[in-house]
Amino acid sequence: MSVVTPTLEPNPLREGLEQERVPEASCLVIFGASGDLTHRKLLPALYSLAHDGLLPAGQTIVGFARPDYSDDAFRMDIKEACNKYARTRPVDESVWENFAKGLFYVQGTFTDPAAYNRLNAKLKECDNTRGTGGRRIYYLAVPPQFFPTISELLGAEGMVSDPERGGPYTRVIIEKPFGRDLPTAKELNRVAVTTFRERQVFRIDHYLGKETVQNLLVLRFANGIFEPFWNRQYIDHVQLTVAESIGVEKRGGYFDTAGITRDIVQNHMLQLLSLTAMEPPVAFDADAVRDEKVKVLRALREFPRGREEEMAVRGQYTEGSVLGELAPGYRQEESVKPDSKTETFAAVKVFIDNWRWADVPFYIRAGKRLPKRVTDISIQFRPAPYPLFKKLPGVQTQPNVLAIRIQPDEGIALKFDSKVPGPTVRTAPVTMEFRYATSFGAEPPEAYERLLLETMLGDSTLFARRDEVETAWAWLDPLLRAWESDSRPPKPYSAGTWGPQEADDMLERDGRKWRRP
Amino acid sequence: MTENLFERAAAGQVRVDYSAIERTLAEMWLADGTNDQHTVTRAALWNVVAHTETHQHHSHASDILSKAAAAVPQRTIIVRADPKAADEMSSYISANCHLGGEGKRVCSEEIAIVAGGERVRRVPPLVNALLIPDMPVAFWWVGDLPHENAQYVQTLLEPADRLIVDSVHFNDPGDLELVKRVADDSGTAPADLNWIRLEEWRTAAASVFDPPEMRDKLRSLKRVRITANVADESYFGERIESLFFASWLMAMSEAEVDCTFDLRRAENRGLVRVELELEESKATIERDQEKCVLSTTIDGHALNLPDAVTRSKARNIDELIVRVLKQPNRDRLLPKILPVALDLARQKK
Repeated sequence: MSVVTPTLEPNPLREGLEQERVPEASCLVIFGASGDLTHRKLLPALYSLAHDGLLPAGQTIVGFARPDYSDDAFRMDIKEACNKYARTRPVDESVWENFAKGLFYVQGTFTDPAAYNRLNAKLKECDNTRGTGGRRIYYLAVPPQFFPTISELLGAEGMVSDPERGGPYTRVIIEKPFGRDLPTAKELNRVAVTTFRERQVFRIDHYLGKETVQNLLVLRFANGIFEPFWNRQYIDHVQLTVAESIGVEKRGGYFDTAGITRDIVQNHMLQLLSLTAMEPPVAFDADAVRDEKVKVLRALREFPRGREEEMAVRGQYTEGSVLGELAPGYRQEESVKPDSKTETFAAVKVFIDNWRWADVPFYIRAGKRLPKRVTDISIQFRPAPYPLFKKLPGVQTQPNVLAIRIQPDEGIALKFDSKVPGPTVRTAPVTMEFRYATSFGAEPPEAYERLLLETMLGDSTLFARRDEVETAWAWLDPLLRAWESDSRPPKPYSAGTWGPQEADDMLERDGRKWRRP
Repeated sequence: MTENLFERAAAGQVRVDYSAIERTLAEMWLADGTNDQHTVTRAALWNVVAHTETHQHHSHASDILSKAAAAVPQRTIIVRADPKAADEMSSYISANCHLGGEGKRVCSEEIAIVAGGERVRRVPPLVNALLIPDMPVAFWWVGDLPHENAQYVQTLLEPADRLIVDSVHFNDPGDLELVKRVADDSGTAPADLNWIRLEEWRTAAASVFDPPEMRDKLRSLKRVRITANVADESYFGERIESLFFASWLMAMSEAEVDCTFDLRRAENRGLVRVELELEESKATIERDQEKCVLSTTIDGHALNLPDAVTRSKARNIDELIVRVLKQPNRDRLLPKILPVALDLARQKK
């Protein structure tokens, strides 16, 4: 019989404060503490949380990695990173002083049991000196091949406690990629649940930490006006674009084995798609929200075997120029094979076979070296049912578009037709705009800040669940296999353009075209 | 005139006919678009009405709210109403602009209404007509609250969602009674800047009870000792910050608490040190003026908890007002604290 951990009463003095929820102090161990993610994102995010008073007094962070650092050297290194990358930079000395007291470093390799022993001793020491009460969060900022070893050694060293048996909590955060296909994702999940329960696993997709992505749920379910139109009766089609102006930078080696579909479409884009298309959840909690997202993924129409090209286009950039700078072709990038067939652009036509979305196409595209960096969801409405004004000369009505800009310059715009002032009836499209920066001014928290805080609070609503990950792979795998077995190279497109002509043709066949985001 | 109206309004006040304020504002925004460059983005999340009586208060309010508008875009209406002045009424418009994202100028409008003598009575309906529809209204009463002209105040406050006051200016408990009456009898939620000043002290005190082992100790609170710097310890308003803090602890702990206040005439006004005596432990919160932080320590047997540090927040009036306007919902706590504070004020007279 399982024993349920008693839940703490809320702190009454927190009522009405800006920081209404503060987690209990824990030891957060970062595996891969010498890496780029730790320096650019994780520690700066943790520092900003401390700066904003969102961390408890005893919060402890322990870096674990191969290089030999002292605690002080690690602190110096992290301070420099926070000064460079934290949202709340430059570092405030008085906040830093206290934050640094909770920063420690343990040297070791991921495969050395003795290192885990040293780590465990350090964590127990912190329980005594910093009031962390045995609570643990392990952040695996490491390539996925290390995940089995780390979780096995954590288990063997007795460093994982089971909250459902009355112990303090242990949580583990894992970074994408969650596998490279369905079998590897299943294997990763199998390994995870040998040491941790599913409730202890937090699969991070930083897109879900973005304010605008969360605002998508507020827009849809906190406003009465949108939901009645959010269906096949009023919506003609939906476009999702995740465009990057950069190439593969220093990730050429990894990217060349993955491609844009695994890197962006399988996770970020399918998250955006499921949040856009999901049914209202019964509650705003982790399981209710994720149940609805999974239903969307389960309803994705399979790719027609042998006719994948009708539904999907893959491309690869050749040399060109982006934002006025010359850009090399993909095959000329560092660590990329000169005959690589890896796609740097993907456009897919998706159908969600359910009552709400029957026959409404969702066109999704992601690409590198596109003209600009932008992530955008646009809901294109059907035209008015009766073309009253089209009968008048000189009148051209256009369908309404609700555009949700995820990044940069986050906001929402609604396009509609208006009469041009004058004696004759002429119409022109106008836009009603809401911009976060204009209305709310202050810079929103970084996605990692929100996601780290949610992990400490134990709320997994903004994290991917096992079945979400596996269902997404199950849908994409046949397309990836078809592309892999196709001897033809991806369609070329010049860097600085919106992808290959074939992507435009795919929409043109349906009488539509890509919106310029 | 239309062509450069916007630039004139952005540079300073432009006198306008009070019966045509809205029309002139429309012309002002149109003036920006005449060259088709659309350099300016207009925004407003609130209607903020400041009520003043003197020229000095008027320019103070204008200065404060133009700074606040950079953080919370708003239509600002500043009323200077002096029944003792000569019968007259005039109005002015100006644009409050700041640089937003992507180098865009984000602007909102400020309207000033100056009324004297009998004309003061015409102010409430004029203000009412100038409010942007479907947008919340905050009313900032600059200075001491009026105990006379109830009808005038009531009419002015009718559309208000918030009443912003700063009780540091209150000269007796009657003013607090008035705020309590507004909270009890109207749909307007009071927001006291003196209460907002306590946010970081409340955060620091809350952090004492965040650790699981301290969570149930709040009910064992026995004694609170508050030390504060004030400009004049005999002035009632100067005591309210301390009173509020003690009242808040009493209300939230639901315990019989013995409160001691030590008010010292010194610079850097506000709370300096708070001691909370619990059954088996003691917590101390102390302001470190140099480091701009509040340090919290907990002492007690069987406890080994690290010190907490809370960043001190700015106490400028514009930033306090921004904090009020950034709270989307009415303050649930202040109405709970007010009666306790009034009782305590009577006891500690």
